[in-house]
Amino acid sequence: MVDDVSVSLAEGTLTGILGPNGSGKTTLLRLLSGTRRPSSGRVRLGDRPLDELSRREVAQHIAVVPQETQLAFEYSAIEIVLMGRHPHLGLFTVEGPADLRIARDAMASTGTSALADRPFDQLSGGEKQRVVIAAALAQSARLLLLDEPTASLDLGYQLEVSALLKTLNRDHGVTMAISTHDLNLAASICRELILMRGGRVIAAGPTHDVLTPENVRRLYDVEADVHVHEDTGHITVVPVRRLHP
Amino acid sequence: MALSEKVLNTKDTKDTKNNYLNTSAAKRGLAFGRKHVLAFRKVFFVPFVSFVLFLGATTQPEPHRIVSLVPALTEMLFAIGAGPQVVGVSSYDKFPTDVQSLPRVGALLDPDTERILSLKPDLVITYGSQVDLQTQLQRASIATFDYRHGGLDHILVTLRQLGRRTGRMKEAETVATGIEARINAIKSRVAGKPRPRTLLVFSRDPRALRNIYVSGGSGFLHDMLVTAGGQDVFGDVKRESVQATTETILARSPDVILEIRPDDIPAGKELDEEMATWARLASVPAVRNKRVYFITGQQMTVPGPRVVEGIERMVRALHPPAVK
Amino acid sequence: MNVRKRITIVVLANAAFTLAVLLVAPTVGSTPIALSRVFDQSMPWESNVDAQIFFVARLPRVLSGALVGAALAAAGVVLQAMLRNPLATPFTLGVSAGGALGAMIAIALGLDVGVLGVTSVPIASFIGSLVAIAIVYGLATSQKRGLSTNVLLLAGVTLNSFFSALILFVQFIADFTQAFRAVRWLMGDLDVGSYSPIVAALPFLVCAFAVFAILPRTLNLLTLGEDVAAARGVEVVTAHRWAFFSASLATGAAVSLGGPIGFVGIIVPHLVRLMVGSDHRVVLPAAALFGAAFTVLCDLVARTIIAPLELPVGIITALIGGPFFLWLLVKKS
Repeated sequence: MVDDVSVSLAEGTLTGILGPNGSGKTTLLRLLSGTRRPSSGRVRLGDRPLDELSRREVAQHIAVVPQETQLAFEYSAIEIVLMGRHPHLGLFTVEGPADLRIARDAMASTGTSALADRPFDQLSGGEKQRVVIAAALAQSARLLLLDEPTASLDLGYQLEVSALLKTLNRDHGVTMAISTHDLNLAASICRELILMRGGRVIAAGPTHDVLTPENVRRLYDVEADVHVHEDTGHITVVPVRRLHP
Repeated sequence: MALSEKVLNTKDTKDTKNNYLNTSAAKRGLAFGRKHVLAFRKVFFVPFVSFVLFLGATTQPEPHRIVSLVPALTEMLFAIGAGPQVVGVSSYDKFPTDVQSLPRVGALLDPDTERILSLKPDLVITYGSQVDLQTQLQRASIATFDYRHGGLDHILVTLRQLGRRTGRMKEAETVATGIEARINAIKSRVAGKPRPRTLLVFSRDPRALRNIYVSGGSGFLHDMLVTAGGQDVFGDVKRESVQATTETILARSPDVILEIRPDDIPAGKELDEEMATWARLASVPAVRNKRVYFITGQQMTVPGPRVVEGIERMVRALHPPAVK
Repeated sequence: MNVRKRITIVVLANAAFTLAVLLVAPTVGSTPIALSRVFDQSMPWESNVDAQIFFVARLPRVLSGALVGAALAAAGVVLQAMLRNPLATPFTLGVSAGGALGAMIAIALGLDVGVLGVTSVPIASFIGSLVAIAIVYGLATSQKRGLSTNVLLLAGVTLNSFFSALILFVQFIADFTQAFRAVRWLMGDLDVGSYSPIVAALPFLVCAFAVFAILPRTLNLLTLGEDVAAARGVEVVTAHRWAFFSASLATGAAVSLGGPIGFVGIIVPHLVRLMVGSDHRVVLPAAALFGAAFTVLCDLVARTIIAPLELPVGIITALIGGPFFLWLLVKKS
């Protein structure tokens, strides 16, 4: 549930939506992607309200990467990526050479080109996420919404995927919003943060300004040290003690 | 032989019985007894058993309260004069009209044991396959007469058996010989005539050529057809009931089609529609020569004393000029 | 990886196979016939036994087998995609149970109504299927969440149990011959004996297949999950509705034509996926074509193997289906 929230995502930004479970992160993401309608207020893409667009049109601009993808049937990685072209294809249109090229480019940018013909189910966790990100990129969407992209991944794959996201945002200009409960992931790759608790936004702004011990306490009831590395500006959050509200 | 060897060879020492049998006198005695019992059995077995059965048959008391689950046997009972003794009939009994006022006790699949017992019968006529019911009645010391389905001959055998069982052998014999005489008369009537290849249809979906069940080469309806001077077109299949298809009927091209409708015959518009349905099989001689007949009546489905009437109806259809 | 070429090749190959089966099947049977006599125009119709066997007995049978097989296989594919479950069959959502109840009632009551050359049992069966469809849809639709596939599945399974109980009850109160006819109907029977039932079922099948033609890519996306599909631009609720109604209509029409022939709706989709992958743009047409051929071949075996007697076609598909599933199970583990 989300209550009285007002957020905006500027183009080209990489925003993290941070908060404990049940804070309304996923709901916010659903509202942003148009799969849920707000009971009051509006969601706008640029200056167009989302509810005026058809599902297809929304999908042409906004892509969603879910936390996990489970297939009921066997598909190869390239088939999954090609399905991302759906919003751009007519009813009876079959993917053409242009679509194929876009799909292959997307796979190249996520480093998954070699996996194209392999069955999706046989890929590792990290590889699967990267293929799904490629599928979202193949949608030629301006905005990518990722729901806990590294939550179910091992540390190594977490690093892999977060590095990928950072690169995509920095080098390819893809606007992203990532919902996560991992403070350090948010700290390392997000330049903007939205902190949520109990369905409300308790803070929003550039990471350096927002990620303070005070806010961490308000968010998680945890006393933490927030270190800013002198040279790189890299932020690390180290939890110290649990506080009881 | 094996048993005595085993006993004599046992090594048990704690068993005094074995010790006794181990003495040579016992051995000789045992051997003597065995030889003569075997001889006795061989010579006297058949007469002995027959005597016991005979005793049993004649010493079975005449039943005064009969419950019949088999409509054919109900008809037989009434035909041989045992009608007044019938106190309960099956759900499907319709003839003679006397049975309409009698209590119903179920049928082949759902006999109502409680109801049967409440009528206090001393003889219950059951189907041979109703084993559970028979066991229950045996436990209640009620005699049963178990009927098994069979061909035309079996009807007469059953009639005579029933006569014996109810102490009406004379009446049963009269009825049976009467039926036999009529059957023989029919046989001689149709003797020299050509036997039309006949499809005898038991049931079929109304207005369609689906779920067609016909007579095969066995069973009392098949026998009736043969007696009536017909040739069963599915006679090579040794089953009572065969599911025929459009292809098999076309292939076997019957000269006559007889459809049995126990309750009523289609008439008017319905008859036209049924004829039109058969007309789809245009190459079948029965259709071309308009020899499709509907035969009605319980006589066709109840293998009882009225079976001759059924045969006569078939004769009328198969050999029209033969019966006036 | 040219999708268009792949679709074309696979569909053409299947079509060729199916066409071959459809051409050969009416010429084979328990009675030998000569094609020259079948097409001999000089012989009058009334005396041409071979022609009658071909055109009255076998051809309608082959055509209904093909239609039933195509409908059940395609419906199976669609439902498996919609429910995201490879074990779903056209009978999972209660449509065939409704059809069976309708047929049982017609048999038990001895109904005898004919419309346009179609008799009461097929009509009652189709009405029963429509009732089942309405009930399941009604249960699974809500204002808030549109059409929920989970509730759809539960409603279908519940309806199956409920209708099965009713069917048992109807069989119990029916008499012996009626109960036998009812049981026999459940085993499937393609010997339609005329073209009227086929013509009567055709409009419904054509409508269903028209929808099948536009579903495939949507089905691909639906198998990824509702949220993902929605995010990729699929109107999920609308897609579910189209899938549900078309698959159920096809199943209802097929069941009314030939009875509930089992296993076709699950063996054929699986076999086709094994051969061509999971892209529904290939799987759906291939399954429809292969389903037609499969059913006609099973019926061919059913009507020749113990000639002059016949086995119900549902027995043959079950005999193939059982071992097939064992094999699938072994393969997966």
